[in-house]
Amino acid sequence: MIRCIECGTNQYIGALFCTECGAFLVAQISKGKTTILPFSEFAVHAPPPPLTKEELETAVTPRQVTFVIPSSRRRLQLELQDEIRVGRADTETIPELDLSPDDGAGKGVSRLHASIKSVKKGIVLIDLDSTNGTMLNTYRLPPNRPYPLKNGDEIRFGDLLTHIFID
Amino acid sequence: MSKIFDYYAILGVDPKAEATAIRIAFEALQNSFPPAERDRARNADYQRLVNAYEVLSDPVRRATYDSLLVETTMVDLDIALTLSRDKIEVSDTEQRLYLLVDIRPPKQSSGQQLPLNLCLVIDRSTSMQGRRLDAVRAAVELVIEKLTPSDVLSIVSFSDRAEVVASAQPLSHKPGILRGLHAIEASGGTEIYQGLAAGVKELRQSPLAEYSNHLILLTDGHTYGDDKQCLELAARTAVDGIGITAFGIGSDWNDQFLDQLVAPSGGQSGFIEQPKSVVQKLQESITGMGTVYAQNMRLQRSFPDFLSLEYGYKIVPFAQPLVLDDSVIRLGNVEGRSRLAFLLEMNIRPQTTERRLSIPINLVADIPARQMQQQTFNQNVRVNVLKNAQMQEPPEPIVEAVRMLNMYRMNERVWEDVEAGELEVAARRMRHLTTRLLEAGEPQLAQQANFEAERILQAGTMSLDGRKKLKFGTRALVTRTTYFDNDDND
Repeated sequence: MIRCIECGTNQYIGALFCTECGAFLVAQISKGKTTILPFSEFAVHAPPPPLTKEELETAVTPRQVTFVIPSSRRRLQLELQDEIRVGRADTETIPELDLSPDDGAGKGVSRLHASIKSVKKGIVLIDLDSTNGTMLNTYRLPPNRPYPLKNGDEIRFGDLLTHIFID
Repeated sequence: MSKIFDYYAILGVDPKAEATAIRIAFEALQNSFPPAERDRARNADYQRLVNAYEVLSDPVRRATYDSLLVETTMVDLDIALTLSRDKIEVSDTEQRLYLLVDIRPPKQSSGQQLPLNLCLVIDRSTSMQGRRLDAVRAAVELVIEKLTPSDVLSIVSFSDRAEVVASAQPLSHKPGILRGLHAIEASGGTEIYQGLAAGVKELRQSPLAEYSNHLILLTDGHTYGDDKQCLELAARTAVDGIGITAFGIGSDWNDQFLDQLVAPSGGQSGFIEQPKSVVQKLQESITGMGTVYAQNMRLQRSFPDFLSLEYGYKIVPFAQPLVLDDSVIRLGNVEGRSRLAFLLEMNIRPQTTERRLSIPINLVADIPARQMQQQTFNQNVRVNVLKNAQMQEPPEPIVEAVRMLNMYRMNERVWEDVEAGELEVAARRMRHLTTRLLEAGEPQLAQQANFEAERILQAGTMSLDGRKKLKFGTRALVTRTTYFDNDDND
């Protein structure tokens, strides 16, 4: 048997790819480690960079933010003063981005799911400890921590995919 | 078929090779035998090698041999066997070996153009109502346009019972077929056996031996309680030369069942995500039907004790896992101009001494153009067991095929983990798959995999839709690699 150096499982001698993690085993033997292939910069689980206190100070200039929700083909533009709350409207509050018309309830969006804020560094996304969580591109956000957003980012509130475009 | 050794293959040289190339090839192979084994009287392998060299190194004997070879290749298929490595270590553990089998019809032959005997079996259960049935109707109309007047078409629709929409008839009666097609109305449940049985009955109206016979099933649901009957029917009809292709529309159908249904005839099962892709899928699947060189190709599962077959996968003309639990492995047809390629994953039992292993690849097929039934095509591929086998770079086509197939199987294992309640294991594996899909340049599948990894942790299962997208998406990856892209028509 040989050992996959990426995940440590035992593999047959002569096996070409690890059955557990899919790593190319021949590259490991001949070069000592797996070949770096294009797309590996997508590092699926690496968190976006943390922000300093100063970078998180509230910005003053309002921004235009566009949300595109493919499943319901909805597109809406909102002005971001200091905060856009994301969730589902109930009798008490109506969040600025109300996902009820997009089957938010069925897709696991919490009433108060996340918040998008305008800060010195740019625009940040904060998961508000929602039931089903928030994904930024391929990274799952820990609750209550701000992460910077870029133009064209993909955000999943629960199961609901949303694209964000920042002017 | 009289037995003529392929001396060129024994020496591993091209039939047009020059005398020097033949001599170099012979000397290299001769040196691979330990001196003690260079005994023509006692070692059959060595004797074959020397015979090959004696014939091919003598211009007169070579010319005679070449003329014999031309005659035999007329009925022969061009079969190329490629191993992941031809030297393995002396080892007290099992070792893995991959074999790629690539079969092409002989160059001169264009295959016999048999008229098609095609039956479309259409699910008309309530859930097919609207866009799905509309798309199927449009697709069938297009299929009708592609067929020639000598082809025979029948259409059966079914819910919990079957109706013959258009009975088997030559394509000269188009208006009648179209009228029947448009009269199909959606209602009722899904009992696939009803549809299959009626479809097979229609196909049997024509003399099967004179046609290329295919049944295409289009369904969007689970069949109720008649799975076993369906599979028995599929096994019986495969023997008579009826190929079954099955497409699932939407996400609420049983993919494992459709895989099993097409297995006996070596057919294809596929996933139609959007109703609008019905046309394309149907068109792809009927392209090539009819120009059959070899029918009902199968691999004898008679391997020596030192080898166990772990997995088999058809790569060309379409990607489909092979079913290994029978004494023969059904591979389907070799269509006129296209190849048939499949990959075998084998384990070699512990080898404690240096020796040469010979792996027999015995194929059987019917060649309709020559009215030959059960024609056999036997070849061997050899592996040397050595104390110090050097690391070999595996051939690129094998690496690419195994890379893609490994992703398909990682996804299948995720499902097994989920069914066993091992959610953490399943999610971890799915994340690994996400990374590999990104590396392979498949961001959409990667995104789906990543989404399903989260879903497994949160909801304890995969989405029905995601499961099918990943299963059929990863399955199809292998046909997109350069070596197995079926677009090249040479």
